[in-house]
Amino acid sequence: MFGRNGKKGNYAYTVARVKAKKSLLMNEEDYSKMLMMTVPEISRYISETGYGKEMTDLAGRMSGIGLLEHATYFNMAKVFGSILTSSTGELYDMVSAYLDKWDVWNLKVILRGKSYGLDAEGIREDLVPAGSLGAESLDKLISLDTDDDIIAEFGRMTHVNFPADVLAAYKASGNLGEIEDFLDKNHYERLTESIDPSSRPSRLFLDYIGEEIDMKNFETILKLKAEGIYGEQVMKYVIPGGRRIDGRQLTLLANAESTESVLSDASQFEFYEGIRDALESGNLRDAVSGLRKYEIQKAKKFSHLYPLSVIPVIDYMIHKENEVRNIRMIARGTESGLDRETIKELLVI
Amino acid sequence: MAMEGDVGSGLIAIGAGLAVGLTGLGAGMGEKDVGAAAVGAITENPGIFGKAMIFMVIPETIVIFGLVIAIIAIFAM
Repeated sequence: MFGRNGKKGNYAYTVARVKAKKSLLMNEEDYSKMLMMTVPEISRYISETGYGKEMTDLAGRMSGIGLLEHATYFNMAKVFGSILTSSTGELYDMVSAYLDKWDVWNLKVILRGKSYGLDAEGIREDLVPAGSLGAESLDKLISLDTDDDIIAEFGRMTHVNFPADVLAAYKASGNLGEIEDFLDKNHYERLTESIDPSSRPSRLFLDYIGEEIDMKNFETILKLKAEGIYGEQVMKYVIPGGRRIDGRQLTLLANAESTESVLSDASQFEFYEGIRDALESGNLRDAVSGLRKYEIQKAKKFSHLYPLSVIPVIDYMIHKENEVRNIRMIARGTESGLDRETIKELLVI
Repeated sequence: MAMEGDVGSGLIAIGAGLAVGLTGLGAGMGEKDVGAAAVGAITENPGIFGKAMIFMVIPETIVIFGLVIAIIAIFAM
C-alpha cells in the first residue's frame, strides 16, 4: 500500500540525485570556450568542472591527451557506479541491465586491443569499468593470453553463452565483428528481458529501448549503404526488437540500393526530419550526428513524461556519455589540428 | 436521552481522532517521496538544505488542517 517493499525501487531519491547531477553538466557555452583552447587548457578547464579528482589521481601516470581521455572515462564509470549503488529494487535491476553495455564495450576493447598488439596499459586506457565487471575482473581478462580464453572467461563472469556457430564463424574468419554483433544483440535481448512490463514506467523504458534499437539499426543500414552493402548481408547486422521499424520496413531499407533510395522509405520515421538534409546531401557524418541529437531529445522527452521512473536516470546517463564524447572529440580534434568549425559540427549539443 | 448524548460525544471524539490520524497518514505518504528526493538533492548539493527542509514540511500543513477540525469538533461538543 505504501510502496515500502524493497522491490519497487527508490525512484524519488535516485531521480533527485541525477537531476542535481544533470544541472552540473556542461552546456553550449562551455563547449564554445573549450573550442578556443589548447589540450593543456582543456585539461585544466575540465579539472575545474567536475573531473578534477580523476585528473589529479591519474596525473602521476599519464599526461596530455591520454590523461584527459582516461580521466573522462574514469569519471563517467565512477558516476555511473555511484548511481547504481544508490538505487534499489527494480530500479537497480534496470540500471544494472542498462549498464551491462559497458561490459560489452570493455570486452570489445580488450579483444580489439589484443588483436592490434596493444599492451595492458594501452588497453586499460579505453576501458570504462561502469558495468558489472569491475577493474579487477577486467584486469583478469586482459591478463589472459588467447581470445578463446578471454571470451570463455567473460562468458563465465557475465553468464553470457556464446553460441557454437558464432564462435565457429569467428574462428574460421578471424573477424571480431562476428563476436561483436552477437554481443550487441545479446545485450539488447537481455536488457528487454530484464524489464518487467507490468508498470507504466517500465513499459516506457521498454519503448525507449525499442527506439534506441531503431536508431542503431538505421545507423547500421546507412553505414553499410555507404559501403555499397545491401540485402541479406545488411539484415545479418540488424538488432531485433525495434519499436517503430518492423521486420518488413527493415527489409525494405536493407534492400534499397543506395543512401538516396533510403530517403523515401525513411520519411515515415519520427527522426527523419532531423536528418533529412544530411541524407539528401549524402553526408553520413551529419546523418549520424542528427540521429544522436534525436536520441538525446527523445531521452529528455521520455524523462519528462514520467519523472518517477528509470527514464530520468537513463536520460542523465546518455547526457553524461555525450558530454564525455564531446570533450574527447574537442581534445582529439584540437590535438590533430582540425579547424574549430569542423569540430563544432561533430559535437552533439 | 443521556445514553444518546454519550453516543454523540463518542462519535465526535472518534471523528476528531480520525481527522488527525488520517491526515497524519496522508502527510506521511506524501513526505515519503518528498523526503527521499530532498535527501537525494542534499547529497549532491548540501547548500540547498534550507530549501529542501521547506519542501519537506509542506505536506505537514494537511495535518494542521486535521488538527483544527479536531479541535473545533471537540470544543463544539
